[in-house]
Amino acid sequence: MLKVENLEVRYGGSQALRGTSLEVRAGELVAVVGPNGAGKTTLFKAISGTVPATGRVTFEGADLLAMPAKRRAHLGIAHVPEGRKIFPSMSVLENLEMGGSTDAGRAGRVRAFERIFAMFPILAERRAQLAGTLSGGQQQMLAIGRALASCPRLLMLDEPSMGLSPVMADTIFDAVREIRREGGVTILLVEQRVTDALEDCDRGYVLEGGRVVMSGPPSELSPEKLRRAYLGM
Amino acid sequence: MFIESFLQATVAGLTVGAIYGLTCVGLALIFGIMRVINFAQGDFMMVGMYLAVGLSALLASAGLAAPFVAALLVAPVLFIAGALLHRFLVSRTTGLQSVGLSADGHQAQLILTLGIALVLQNGAMILLGSTPLAVVSPLSSSAWEVPLMYDDFSTLFLNKARTIGAVVSLGVALVLFRLIRTTHLGKSLRASADNPEAATYMGIDVDRAHRIAFGLGTAVAGVAGGLIVLSYPVQPFVGTEFVIIMYAGVVLGGIGSITGAFWGGMVIGLVQQLSILVLPLQLQNTLVFLVFVLILLLRPQGLFGRSVERA
Repeated sequence: MLKVENLEVRYGGSQALRGTSLEVRAGELVAVVGPNGAGKTTLFKAISGTVPATGRVTFEGADLLAMPAKRRAHLGIAHVPEGRKIFPSMSVLENLEMGGSTDAGRAGRVRAFERIFAMFPILAERRAQLAGTLSGGQQQMLAIGRALASCPRLLMLDEPSMGLSPVMADTIFDAVREIRREGGVTILLVEQRVTDALEDCDRGYVLEGGRVVMSGPPSELSPEKLRRAYLGM
Repeated sequence: MFIESFLQATVAGLTVGAIYGLTCVGLALIFGIMRVINFAQGDFMMVGMYLAVGLSALLASAGLAAPFVAALLVAPVLFIAGALLHRFLVSRTTGLQSVGLSADGHQAQLILTLGIALVLQNGAMILLGSTPLAVVSPLSSSAWEVPLMYDDFSTLFLNKARTIGAVVSLGVALVLFRLIRTTHLGKSLRASADNPEAATYMGIDVDRAHRIAFGLGTAVAGVAGGLIVLSYPVQPFVGTEFVIIMYAGVVLGGIGSITGAFWGGMVIGLVQQLSILVLPLQLQNTLVFLVFVLILLLRPQGLFGRSVERA
């Protein structure tokens, strides 16, 4: 479904990605883990087109790097960015409507909204409230809801548990599991909570210094190998 | 006697305030919503004033309605001009490109729009000279007389040109509020302003949204100018007299709030006209800024501003 080959991203003088390659097949949950600064968020931004990149990225055969960023969401890619980045001065409902601006989202709005409100009842309750006044956990729910409103086929989640209490993080993970169970959406997940991420995924990639240093099913990503990647020992 | 002059000044304040309010709405679209610091906003208004002078001469056959039709016709012309200006110049300092720049590209915007302002001012000077021009309409020098009921001789005078101008301002402002609040286009503009990166992830064309907002803000400044020129003559540097009022109105109303900007402009118009009752004419704007400082001391977020940044 998504194929990343030899992706390179430079910010000014420093290189954030050095020939990263990975693949996500339809229906999978793929986790990308790695220490801070490994290039995980940059990888997502390059796929979505908000940083310039070289290499090759294809989504269901379409060449993403040849396409402006604004078109990519309409292909069925939803990106929940790091730090949530909801629209603070707009209401919860308006945030969801913005997520539903994509071609697929417009067509499937009613069903998508029902699904979102069933998954996160608090969003239905607070639909008229300004998104900036929600708690961090609620904002994360809104960010995920907003992505689902686009009726995506690939959902990219960038550190959904960041800055949340452990209880709230569990709630968010449960939601991710539910999305997966319901099917129809392929998930690419970047996460700091390595154990959680690797427990649930079909395959994992370990990113370090802008390169994939390890990959495979969770059983092959042993704790010792991970420790070496993270701590260099 | 005092009540009469007080009411007279209030009415003058409301009519002037409605037009100020519209100029502030134009700036609110560009500065409040898109966070572009635009020094040329007053000069867009100046261009609108000149255009309205020319157009109402062309439309002379339309009779008394000509100046108002001319003011509204300024809108499409300046919308296109604003959108082109954004497309080729301003967009290089705003939107996604500016996210990584220092101070979000504000310094670049400052210099760029200051340059545009200078070009417009001096361009107008070369092309049109420094002689002040105005739209001459019988409406500017006639008034509706409203008798005040508490005695037999007190009357309120409503200047016809200003009153109609105020009504047109209110109408244009209401249409814009609806556009921004309820239409999908308006919501996309707000989303692009709130977070251009996230808006891109929703498939929204952020550059287009910014271009439309900039065009709208320019068009509104032009319409307001077309209405002002009925009672205030235009010369190439008239913009600088108004741009301060616009910024004060936007800040007073609360940055990011279009409705607030309108009321901010209204407050400034009212204070300015009421100050005539107690202060010499030259001190009008002193009182405006005194009230400005007082309101911001009590409500730093502005009259309608909401502090929404929590996370």
